[in-house]
Amino acid sequence: MEKSTLFLLILLGSTIAYMRTTWRARTLAETSGRKLHSLPGFYGYYTALWCALPGLLLLLLWLLGEGSLLTAGALARLPESFLDGAAPEKIQLLVNDIKSIAQGSFEGQIDPAIQMAADRFSELTQWSRILLTVLSITASLSGLLFAQTRINPDFRARNHVETVVRVVLIGCALTAIFTTVGIVLSVLIESLRFFNMVPITDFLFGLKWSPQIAMRADQAGSSGAFGVIPLLLGTLLISTVALVVAVPIGLLSAIYLSEYATPNFRAIAKPLIEILAGIPTVVYGFFAALVVAPFLRNMGAEIGLEISSESALAAGLVMGIMIIPFVSSLSDDFINAVPQSLRDGAYALGATQSETIRQVVIPAALPGIVGGILLAASRAIGETMIVVMAAGLSANLTLNPLAAVTTVTTQIVTLLVGDQEFDSPKTLAAFALGLILFILTLCLNILALRIVRKYREQYE
Amino acid sequence: MTKLENSTMERPFHREHRSTVGTFTSDNPRIVCRSVDVYYGEKHAVQNINIDVGRHQVIALIGPSGCGKSTFLRCLNRMNDTIPDCRVTGDISMDGIAINGPEVDVVPLRAQVGMVFQKPNPFPKSIFENVAYGPRIHGLASNPSDLEEIVENSLRRAGLWDEVKDRLPQPGTGLSGGQQQRLCIARTIAVNPEVILMDEPCSALDPIATAKIEQLIDELRALYTIVIVTHSMQQAARVSQRTAFFHLGHLIEVGETAQVFTNPQHQLTEEYITGRFG
Amino acid sequence: MSDSSHQPLSRGHTHDIVMAGLAKRRSAEKRFRLFGLASIVAGLIFLLVLFVSIIGNGYSAFTYANVALDITFDQAVIDPEGHRNPGTLAAADYDTLWKASLEKLFPDVTGRQQKRALNAFMGFSADKRLKDMVIGDPSLIGTTKTVWLPVDDTIDMLIKGKLGKEEELNERHLLDQAWIKTLQDQNRIRSSFNREFFTNGDSREPEAAGIWGAVTGSALTLLITIGLSLPIGIAAAIYLEEFAPRNRWTDLIEVNINNLAAVPSIVFGLLGLAVFINFFGLPRSSPLVGGLVLTLMTLPVIIIAARSALKSVPPSVREAALGIGASPVQMVFDHVLPLAVPGIMTGAIIGTARALGESAPLLMIGMVAFIVDIPKTFTSAATVLPVQIYLWADSPERAFNERTSAAIMVLLAFLMIMNGFAVYVRRRYERRW
Repeated sequence: MEKSTLFLLILLGSTIAYMRTTWRARTLAETSGRKLHSLPGFYGYYTALWCALPGLLLLLLWLLGEGSLLTAGALARLPESFLDGAAPEKIQLLVNDIKSIAQGSFEGQIDPAIQMAADRFSELTQWSRILLTVLSITASLSGLLFAQTRINPDFRARNHVETVVRVVLIGCALTAIFTTVGIVLSVLIESLRFFNMVPITDFLFGLKWSPQIAMRADQAGSSGAFGVIPLLLGTLLISTVALVVAVPIGLLSAIYLSEYATPNFRAIAKPLIEILAGIPTVVYGFFAALVVAPFLRNMGAEIGLEISSESALAAGLVMGIMIIPFVSSLSDDFINAVPQSLRDGAYALGATQSETIRQVVIPAALPGIVGGILLAASRAIGETMIVVMAAGLSANLTLNPLAAVTTVTTQIVTLLVGDQEFDSPKTLAAFALGLILFILTLCLNILALRIVRKYREQYE
Repeated sequence: MTKLENSTMERPFHREHRSTVGTFTSDNPRIVCRSVDVYYGEKHAVQNINIDVGRHQVIALIGPSGCGKSTFLRCLNRMNDTIPDCRVTGDISMDGIAINGPEVDVVPLRAQVGMVFQKPNPFPKSIFENVAYGPRIHGLASNPSDLEEIVENSLRRAGLWDEVKDRLPQPGTGLSGGQQQRLCIARTIAVNPEVILMDEPCSALDPIATAKIEQLIDELRALYTIVIVTHSMQQAARVSQRTAFFHLGHLIEVGETAQVFTNPQHQLTEEYITGRFG
Repeated sequence: MSDSSHQPLSRGHTHDIVMAGLAKRRSAEKRFRLFGLASIVAGLIFLLVLFVSIIGNGYSAFTYANVALDITFDQAVIDPEGHRNPGTLAAADYDTLWKASLEKLFPDVTGRQQKRALNAFMGFSADKRLKDMVIGDPSLIGTTKTVWLPVDDTIDMLIKGKLGKEEELNERHLLDQAWIKTLQDQNRIRSSFNREFFTNGDSREPEAAGIWGAVTGSALTLLITIGLSLPIGIAAAIYLEEFAPRNRWTDLIEVNINNLAAVPSIVFGLLGLAVFINFFGLPRSSPLVGGLVLTLMTLPVIIIAARSALKSVPPSVREAALGIGASPVQMVFDHVLPLAVPGIMTGAIIGTARALGESAPLLMIGMVAFIVDIPKTFTSAATVLPVQIYLWADSPERAFNERTSAAIMVLLAFLMIMNGFAVYVRRRYERRW
């Protein structure tokens, strides 16, 4: 049976189990004349859980482990000459061939040895499917039967169900931890493999980034240049441009909206500005490449400036537009959190509204605003699509916003999109860049969240 | 009437009487209010107030919570402008100049009429900057040494100088409640106002701090006209020369403090000061 | 004043100084206010420019130029043996038919260069249209009929005026332009709704490229995302808000969630690549993996939204439920959760909308491949709408440019519907306690 059919079958089975047991518990109460410990529904839930969980667990196990086991089985059938000393990327290609032959979608000449492996693969797939079907149905049925034997008026069905519910809830809350651990492990392990090929010092302090060379020369890592400094500089440059655009506009908008605007104006302008935050980044990327970059280049040509069509300015400007609502809504929150009594104090001294805002409200809200700006910076650094579409690919070591620069995220995408060979330093470098990106944004986030939290406590 | 009869029966004005009792005018007044009404949206919060505020005297506004005394106080430096939906009508003038019209610039007015609030609200700046803020925005000091002088004078006059002179660069929010309130008074004095409004300045303070502030108010009377809203009748009796009693948005009775507390004319005033409601 | 010994300044003097500085301060006030207004206007102008340029660039992709040709369905070309065998019909050279018709319309076209240009007037889609007609109704063979056929995409661009002004066109385009003019004078050109754009998958040929494949991919991916992130997110929020003890572990989970919400999306892509594809061996480019990655990305958003929705349910409801003997689990699921549903819904819709617009992590897991077929299952290779936009934006053909904008319009329309729905839910069910 297909896994999806099996999944639906198990769900169906447990639904039936629920309904049947609920009904049975009710009749039990009537016939025995005794009071049940829990509501009849809980007996139903209890049975349904026992019916569904074992089968579903098996299914999950299969889903995660089946793929690698099947390929291993198929590869074992290949003559050793195929595998000895073959690069991992070759093996990956081989596996792909085997799979497509097994599915009958392969076009072209088939090596008989590979055909054999493919046959083995289909055979194993067949067996695996049968095994899964038998096992999961058996597991579900035995779970069901076990639960059925325990149904009696004294059985504390509710407590058992609630324990399961709590365990499930805790498990869900732990996904956050697992995700973080997963991110750290996956990025770290691949990065360590990368640092085995390219010394970490070359990576961190190198001034030259040209991963393509390593490919062509086919000398793992030894001739490609993997210096991350130009990428960091490019990222910094574009993010700075973005913040220079977003911070004043966002902050001033927030001030105007919260302090000056009439309620009607605010009700219209605020959601409009926030639309900017809901636009997908790929749209901004296209906008940058289609409208802003050519516009800037032509403007530059008018006044005799040479502006690259992949300039940091264009990407940064558009990124800044994207971040405006982010800055403005955070600032708005913090400005509103400043107590009215401080404003009253300034007004009572004869301060004008702008003096009150600039000299009392903003300084009071400053920690929060700084935290918000740090979060915005972290977002700018991690932003991908805009720079992939509008920034350049060549790693120039420059601080000139009119020139083309590349960023960490752009390079991750460039290195990983397209055909990958999983052990080349070129691919692994993407993970090392990911590690840098993760650490950088993590530090910014923790710092920012800490500042913001502290600030919130101050006025609450 | 026999001596056994309840004393309230002797009061010439009964509870239902709603126009102001006593002498609401004063000779050579600093502030003159005539037919002042305040509305919060639909709500008529303060009704038909007529009162004069004399020079170099402390006038106390008393009455149960929600009687409109704070609202009326905020009319005198137009702080009600900061509340949306709040509307003030009637004539208020200071030294003969109307201050309630839309054409009046509130900035110089508030420089002339300072205000101290219920809860101490020092700015999140240093002690020095708190006091220097007013003179700075109004450009009262032509050079840094002038400013230092103004700050020192104001702190001295607020009775805080000796306590803070060694830690002027420290944040004002780090002071104790009573010190913070005196800092706020110093901040107000620094602008060199003519009138100081105080909105229950001691309600957030302990008795010792309260005593200090009361003593300070007494000293400041020589230089400024002071209008103080207070919950405490004892405080009104201690610091003020005149007292005005508010009830449900009406000004019930005004008079010399001694007279209002010893021989109130209105039955409501009498009931309030003897603690029968409030 | 009598006590001027204390006073550095006299009262009147103070007032004069205040009045003197007033004009300057008032203009500073006005300036500041103006800056604020200008910032908002700047933000709104950006928004306007963005929408105007996308819509202005893309609206024309919803129509496509067709030309009316008198097609003779020549038996000799289509089915020389006359068996009406579907295989034969499908393999016939339909371009011969419209080429013959065009030659009749422009008899004076001679010379290899010009002939070749004329033969490129129509394309791939015209062939397909004729083929579909004949297979659908073989009795057409042997008849002559006027048929509206789609032109080549370059011709379409020329008709829409997207290749620039007259003087910027090259010789070849000018030749095409002249033919277009002739056909237009004969009323043989009309533009019709571009149905292919909504029903086709991706294609190398702009005229045949559509968004249906990407829309289906997005739908499959989002189904996985919603199906996983909603229950897990709500469960996690319930645990943290209602059951979790206040200790270091809970703190750790909280800090974690807040951080995850700010981790760059591309890092989630790296996670997906390393864990789901390389470690667990799940199929690359599949909506399954895309959905899993987006689930991990959306979870923090949903957890945070659900927590604040739960938090806004007043404690009195909990006390009332516990007071009549409900267990804590019953209290949460029977009383607190139903009241928090609107808030959770709003957060979930917004999180899903964000997932719909996301592309960077999906590039990492191979959803960027060129895929012509409409995906049918969760494990077949697929792409999603934003990635399709990215792919088209990279294509050099002019016709893809307007299609990119059109696809953006479709994506934005979806997002607006979702966000509008979220606003509706909030307005309709919002409760003030």
